[in-house]
Amino acid sequence: MDLSRYGRAAPAAVLAAPGVVAGAVRVRDERTKRVTVSGSTGGAVRADLDEIFRREYPRVVGVAARVLGSRDQAEDVAQEVFLSLGRSSVPAGEAGGWLSVAAAHTALNVLRSGRRRGSREEIVAAAEHTVVSDVADVVVTREERSHVRAALARLPRKQAVALVLRHSGMSYADVAAALDLSPGSVGTTVRRAESALRKELNRHASSD
Amino acid sequence: MRHPTEGVLRRLIDEPAGVADSDREHISGCPQCLDALAAVREDAAYVGAALATERGASDVDVDAAWQRLTTTAPTKMTGRQVGVSRAGRSRTWLRRPAVAALAVGLVLTGAGAAAANGWLEIFRAEEVAPISIAADDLVALPDLSAFGELELSGEPNVHEVPDAATAEAETGLDVPEVTDLPRGVSGDPMYQVGGKVTATFTFSAERAAEAADKAGTALPPPPPGLDGSSVRLDAGPGVAQTWLSSAGAPALIVGRATAPKAFSSGVPFETVRDYLLSLPGMPENVARQLRTFTADGSTLPLPFPADEVTTSSAKVNGVDATVLETRDKALSAVVWVDDDMVTVVGGSLDDDEVLAVARNLR
Repeated sequence: MDLSRYGRAAPAAVLAAPGVVAGAVRVRDERTKRVTVSGSTGGAVRADLDEIFRREYPRVVGVAARVLGSRDQAEDVAQEVFLSLGRSSVPAGEAGGWLSVAAAHTALNVLRSGRRRGSREEIVAAAEHTVVSDVADVVVTREERSHVRAALARLPRKQAVALVLRHSGMSYADVAAALDLSPGSVGTTVRRAESALRKELNRHASSD
Repeated sequence: MRHPTEGVLRRLIDEPAGVADSDREHISGCPQCLDALAAVREDAAYVGAALATERGASDVDVDAAWQRLTTTAPTKMTGRQVGVSRAGRSRTWLRRPAVAALAVGLVLTGAGAAAANGWLEIFRAEEVAPISIAADDLVALPDLSAFGELELSGEPNVHEVPDAATAEAETGLDVPEVTDLPRGVSGDPMYQVGGKVTATFTFSAERAAEAADKAGTALPPPPPGLDGSSVRLDAGPGVAQTWLSSAGAPALIVGRATAPKAFSSGVPFETVRDYLLSLPGMPENVARQLRTFTADGSTLPLPFPADEVTTSSAKVNGVDATVLETRDKALSAVVWVDDDMVTVVGGSLDDDEVLAVARNLR
């Protein structure tokens, strides 16, 4: 039974950024190996998937939601990422970091490929969840968010992932481990990303 | 001493304990660094706010998400994500778990007999997630509620049961036993059962005319006697066994249900069906398949895009069966009706494999 086609589609995550990070590459190797194995045997879903899922799902959704700004889309990304994990042999202890990195990459891929819903739909959806006191303020915020996300998609991939992981609450040590950075360089990477995003916003603000 | 880098300043905001004492001392006494720290802090706060979402992830429904992961095709999510071109959607749709998942829907809710929208409503009413595959094409069907009254009764209540014995007890059906699993499929199946449901559609010429008017087209003249007459569609109960692949998606599904049936009051069912099929908005491929309907539930409409799936005929233990295979050979299914029961075997297998499983069912 050939499971490879299915596998190709799901884990866009780690594959999308060529030569990104040693950490991700390592994970990719493990996963690829596992895919080969499961492709020939049709092996079972890893036994600890349920436990990992319940523990990590909210966080994975949170990571993707920061990138996409839409929880529904973030949940879609989370499903994709857990499907990838399910067929991998990533050690349970490393699953949290793996999932977060994969969620960030997958969500950035969605962002970059322009597969997000149209801005009109986004605004409508947001309006449903926001108590609006001043419509003008909300519109401005939404525009800025839209600019930030557009800029996020253009950042060097490692910066974007580090930024998203950090803002999702991961510690510097965990971000460093997940991206194979030295802990000291996480701050620099995150700072560069924030600085670039802020410049992008200022550029938009001054051109308005 | 040299000023600490901006990276150090950035960490100081999040994790002061991670910054060396000497750096902290320097920063606290250095106006230049304090200015830089303020700018770094402001950027961080701003970007943090920009990346925040209205709905955080703290209240996600983990149980529902798990259910989705284990029972639904990933088609749904990718379909929504892609959601751009029709071609793209079709390809996604065709990922291997899709047809298998549809097969569950077919069997459990007896999609077969439904005149298109009764079917849709049944699924919608119960949110049978695996039917996501149907969404794009079937939502495009004319909503029958615009043409009359649609009433549902019964509870499909599709749920998992621990074993075949429980499934038999709950449905009254003989659960088919798979004697030899195809290569690459292993382990124990998950059992799901669903109860009997009935949908009654009562045609209203007045409402149909209004709907047609809104759509900017004239309603085709209804056959005499159709106004006010009803069609009843019975489906279920049913049982499905699913073997999951390593990706958590269905690798093999074997389902069985009481064959869906259509009944009509007054006008013959075929007349109602043909009229419904003539309504504007019905995709031709679905219409073509619905035309195969009969009042005795002996055939099933198989709403697959004709250009994506090939169908052929085969015999399963002497009974005529329909074999479906996606053109890329990723998915196959075989469906047949025997003695008032419809059975489907499908999965990410080739047609020989599904037929082998089908012929060896006990």
